[in-house]
Amino acid sequence: MEKIIEVNGIHKTYVKRKTKEKVTAVNDISFDVHRGEVLGLLGPNGAGKTSTIKMICGLLQSDQGSILINGLDIQKKRLKALRHISAVLEGNRNLYWRLTVRENLEYFAGNRGLSRKEVHAQVDKLLGQFHLKEKENELVNGLSRGMQQKLAIAVALLANTDVILLDEPTLGLDVEISYELREILKTVVKEEDRTIIISSHDMPVVQELCDRTIIINKGTVVVDENVENSLRFFETRAYSIKLGEPLSREQEKRLFRKFPLCNYKKQQKQTIVEVNLDRSEDIYELIDIFKEVETIIDSIDRTSIDFEQVFMQIVKGESIYEMA
Amino acid sequence: MRWLNLLKANFRKEYIEMKRYFPNTLALLVTFYIIFLAAFFGIVFIGDPASFEANVQYSIVSVVFWSLTMLTMNFIGFSVVTEAMRGTLEQLYMSPMGVWKIMLTRIIGQFALQSILMIILLFAAMGTSGQWLNLNPMTTIPIILITMVSMVGVSFMIAGLAIIVKQIQAFLQIFQFVLMGLVFIPLSVAPILAFAPFVKGVNLVRTVMIENLTLSEIAFSDVTILLLNSFIYFILGLIVFHRCEKIAMKKGLLGQY
Repeated sequence: MEKIIEVNGIHKTYVKRKTKEKVTAVNDISFDVHRGEVLGLLGPNGAGKTSTIKMICGLLQSDQGSILINGLDIQKKRLKALRHISAVLEGNRNLYWRLTVRENLEYFAGNRGLSRKEVHAQVDKLLGQFHLKEKENELVNGLSRGMQQKLAIAVALLANTDVILLDEPTLGLDVEISYELREILKTVVKEEDRTIIISSHDMPVVQELCDRTIIINKGTVVVDENVENSLRFFETRAYSIKLGEPLSREQEKRLFRKFPLCNYKKQQKQTIVEVNLDRSEDIYELIDIFKEVETIIDSIDRTSIDFEQVFMQIVKGESIYEMA
Repeated sequence: MRWLNLLKANFRKEYIEMKRYFPNTLALLVTFYIIFLAAFFGIVFIGDPASFEANVQYSIVSVVFWSLTMLTMNFIGFSVVTEAMRGTLEQLYMSPMGVWKIMLTRIIGQFALQSILMIILLFAAMGTSGQWLNLNPMTTIPIILITMVSMVGVSFMIAGLAIIVKQIQAFLQIFQFVLMGLVFIPLSVAPILAFAPFVKGVNLVRTVMIENLTLSEIAFSDVTILLLNSFIYFILGLIVFHRCEKIAMKKGLLGQY
């Protein structure tokens, strides 16, 4: 598949204004994105995601390395490279609140050098697709947050660029709007052969939309993997153990010392321990804890795992996944 | 064609926003009119009766020009600060046209719209004082347009500063008084000010309106100085703006406010 984005060994260091201390935000990140691919860029707060996204958009200059958008170096030929990329960086804040929905779409098209006539049909299509037709003459100021967010994404799609960058597209939205937006994005992904990079903390969005995820932590890439592979990898290490009696206090202490993220549920008739193991051999240590006072084990089952759990596992124990 | 589309989009945006913020626009016009009234009554009550007419005519042109320079020269700076506050500045930087072109087309749109306001102010001032100036549009319009180029240059310098520092409102408030000084002080008193931006142009327009000159009656050297002054300030403005953009991109200041 053709590469549309090539990120080669980028570094970014900031100098703190007060202390003059140097902080490395991005440390030697490299990856490629292929045409038509939907990539999830994930990581905890402060991991270096935003800096990476801004460097891809040409809004931030890297100290080292290069980024090619459709073969064009974003630092050397920024304006030409920007013809291939559009972005939603701050969601609803990316809009002019004193302009109407239609006026916003037309203004941003004009800012890319397109005429109102040229984009007329496309504007109508997007208004329909994003369920904004009835609101087209309303000021953005008066729209709900969800509608504003939808409009911001519609603005990014309007330019017909090869690459679309969505930074936190569902942040702060209620469940219903978040679901609607996810469905719209799924349609866009399915119908249009666009390359989309999504940075999000909303794991259902990532799990449903992305083909591949890159997880960044402390400025470096810790995982660059297909979503299904990540899920499969962790699924084999997630267990639910049903016990015939509660654990003793000593056992509980040992359990939480060894598996701090485990879920321990004491119920009337049954006690359940849910745990994601870093290594498959850790199962023996777990059994050892139960063996200590010969606790009755009713069953041991593999449990299903969602991408949120995968993400937490990776961020907490990145080196183990890297080794794998 | 892309330039034209950009200009149309930004002119339309400025027009729509001016309409939607009409009370603001009106308040601005009234404020400038009140400033003129203060200058006019100052001349009536404490001015020299022998030079009453000349003084009033001088103050009419000066107040109108001060308003125009203030609105034009602060415009891009204010635009950058407002866009950074709204969160749209980075979005503008995603345009393949380049922000300097967006800002240039915006200022052209603003200038066209502000000119209407200034014409209203000019006629209100002339009507109130009973002093009718020679407008000579065939002479004054080309001079104003050339002068405008230097104002845009300074505006870009201020905008460059705004991209890096952002909180420049206090500076802009003080700057209004600097502009007032530059507009009101005649070149005959301080000839060195011919090197400052727009002063030569304002002086020429004032002379044309008061002395009823035509374009051919203006000295060639004056036109040359005006052209050079405008060209140099415009280029300097763009250089400063691009330099500041580079610094902001290196330090990651574009999205900050």
